[in-house]
Amino acid sequence: MKKRALSFMLAFTMVAAGLAGCSSSSGSSDTTAADTTAAGSEAADTTAAEESTGEKTTLKWSVWDISATPYYQLLVDAFEEKHPDVTVEMVDLGSTDYQTVLATELTGSGSDFDVVSIKDVPGYTTLVNKGVLEPLDSYIESSGVDLTQYKGIADQVRVDGQLYELPYINSFWVLFYNKDIFDAAGVEYPTNDMTFEEYDALARSLTVTTPGQEVYGAHYHTWRSAVQLFGVLDGEHTILDGNYDFLKPYYEMVINEQNDGVCQDYATLKTSGLHYSGAFAQGNVAMMNQGTWFFSTLIEKIKTGEYTECTNWGIVKYPHAEGVEPGSTLSQITSLAIPTSSDNKDLAWEFIQFLSGEEGAEIVASTGAIPAIMSDSVVDLISSTEGFPQDENSIEALNTSNLYLEMPVHAKSSEIETALNEAHDSIMTGSCTIDEGIAQMNEQVSAILAE
Amino acid sequence: MTEAEKAQKIEALRAKRQELETLLKQTDNAKKRDRIIAKIETTEEKIKKVRTGQRFTRQEKRDMVAYSFIAPNFIGFAVFTLGPIIFAFVLAFMKWDGNSPIEFAGLNNFVEMFANDRFKASFVNTIVYCIATVPLTLICALGLAVLLNQKIKGRNFFRTVGFFPYVASLVAVAAVWNMLFSPQKSGPINMILYNLGVAANDLPKWAADPNWVMFTIVLFSVWKNMGYYMVIYLAGLQGINAELYEAASLDGCNSWQRFRYITWPQLQPTTFFVTIILTINCFKVYDIVYMLAGGSNGIVNTSAMVMVYHIYEEAFRNWNLGYASAVAMVLFLMVLVITLIQFRGEKKYAN
Repeated sequence: MKKRALSFMLAFTMVAAGLAGCSSSSGSSDTTAADTTAAGSEAADTTAAEESTGEKTTLKWSVWDISATPYYQLLVDAFEEKHPDVTVEMVDLGSTDYQTVLATELTGSGSDFDVVSIKDVPGYTTLVNKGVLEPLDSYIESSGVDLTQYKGIADQVRVDGQLYELPYINSFWVLFYNKDIFDAAGVEYPTNDMTFEEYDALARSLTVTTPGQEVYGAHYHTWRSAVQLFGVLDGEHTILDGNYDFLKPYYEMVINEQNDGVCQDYATLKTSGLHYSGAFAQGNVAMMNQGTWFFSTLIEKIKTGEYTECTNWGIVKYPHAEGVEPGSTLSQITSLAIPTSSDNKDLAWEFIQFLSGEEGAEIVASTGAIPAIMSDSVVDLISSTEGFPQDENSIEALNTSNLYLEMPVHAKSSEIETALNEAHDSIMTGSCTIDEGIAQMNEQVSAILAE
Repeated sequence: MTEAEKAQKIEALRAKRQELETLLKQTDNAKKRDRIIAKIETTEEKIKKVRTGQRFTRQEKRDMVAYSFIAPNFIGFAVFTLGPIIFAFVLAFMKWDGNSPIEFAGLNNFVEMFANDRFKASFVNTIVYCIATVPLTLICALGLAVLLNQKIKGRNFFRTVGFFPYVASLVAVAAVWNMLFSPQKSGPINMILYNLGVAANDLPKWAADPNWVMFTIVLFSVWKNMGYYMVIYLAGLQGINAELYEAASLDGCNSWQRFRYITWPQLQPTTFFVTIILTINCFKVYDIVYMLAGGSNGIVNTSAMVMVYHIYEEAFRNWNLGYASAVAMVLFLMVLVITLIQFRGEKKYAN
């Protein structure tokens, strides 16, 4: 009897200890967060030490990729100049799982962030659902911020009529192309006014399938947004419709291109983990749809001489469906929000207002990134960035007409995202037909929406 | 304490001892007698303590030293492992997103679980993965160990080669693996298959193919982990008495008979240990799936979904902490049951 109890105990502890190992993966991300926190605060400490006069308030701001993003420090410097009694401390949470780490940081009440950057809409809705963000409406009202300057984007991120974030970076999708490939093939450059049929034909005319000297007319990164969201640009459909039959022509176009060697195989891209920048840099991709966040990488890497095969690049507006105004494109905003746990909410709001306003926009634009506010002076600033293509079409491509969020606000956006991704993956790997994949989306998303 | 108080206390304790002694005389049950004797001994100790005025008896001191040695480890275990485990048990019956107040959900999490397609897929995949991986790894590890236990040239070199995948970084070898098993026709493995006569359209897409992804993961996992179990088996093989083999060769056994009637039975305890550790590790699988089938956004399809990944996804992407804990409970119970069955089976072979 005793022996049996003992063996049970032993089994129990073995299982418990064994399973306890499961948690180590999330634990390790915490340590990296802590490490970067330490590194970040160290940097902030040194700047603070330079002028340690009197009591200073410290604003703690969560960001990702400090070293790769030039405008963070410029924004912080400009703000600190206006507010000499404030120090802004940046904490880098890493880009790959930024939203997950941020949500973990804000879970419970131990967080001391005053301002948080928000990377995507599903992450935003997750935080709003968790109730960790401060509603901004009263601040906006009392400071008289004009929300129309965000071209309707601010209204798209309202949750139950309340606004919890304010955009300051607005990356939208454009079509990058490699002018050298067009020149070599003797084909005219793409234009700012192309229908999908024209785009498809253009991509096919550039394609070379000879083994060893392949040229791909088009390139689609493995994200679902790179293919699936062509469908929502007509302004009639959204990705939350619950019925996705309208995606069929776009999937057909891309799958046919894939079968004919016009673009690289999705399955290969997925398993090799080839980054879109690497694909474009190889110099055998004629056109690639990608977000404007690619500008700074491209300019920087060409400057340092790392990219030699795509130095002659340009951009044009996204292709559009028949009868739709050119310049309709997808938008991915980076926003700022105040956690409810912050001790310096008013100061945090001032910081947000500064970054999202005109002054912040000009600083952001001066580094070649796209701020949420687009004015003529901002367009001038971006296009005059060193390394930005100087042809007229590329500059004109910065003017968008309609912006649609990659993922609209919805309480279940994280679950919907997963369902859509799964169907996208099945269609693109060819493990199910387009019709089956769309049927799968219809069924699964409707079920999530009905909950 | 005054002398009078002391005397009084000693008197009381003595009376208690007397009482216990009479009780001892009356009982015949061996177990009960043992218990009473133990009580008498503690009373004895207490009397001694009061008489000498010491704070702790010698036995208590010894105990405290022992506990102080256990404490550093146990405190860590209690704070970082035991506490969370108990909390997870409670959370399994709650609804919580980490910030809002915890709500009681009863069995809703479990009901929801069995209606969830991703859970069902993860459940099936985890079991398939275990059934395929455990025996395969065991056979490969044992085979390697038996081979490398012989006196062959470069034995240590080959042992290192066998162990290498286990120490190599998962991220790096997964990248190499995905390159070898590239879904294209020009991928190295597919090229071989193509030259062996597989039609171009029938070539598997490996990790990107829903029908092959589990196979790829199992293959990778066997290759990566067999080195570790090989080392355990090697240790087991060294422990086998050489006289047994000597006797067998005198009786004219061939090498298969030697393996079947000496090596295998003698390795029984090692095999038992390896099976348990392997099974538990198989249920824990997560990283391999994430690296091989995660793609650029880390979202794993139902064809490769495993339970730990489902837990992670629900807990840290969707913030259904209660639901995720409920799934963790199911995983826990599965492993517990299997381990108990294995323990029962072990009794047969015990020594």
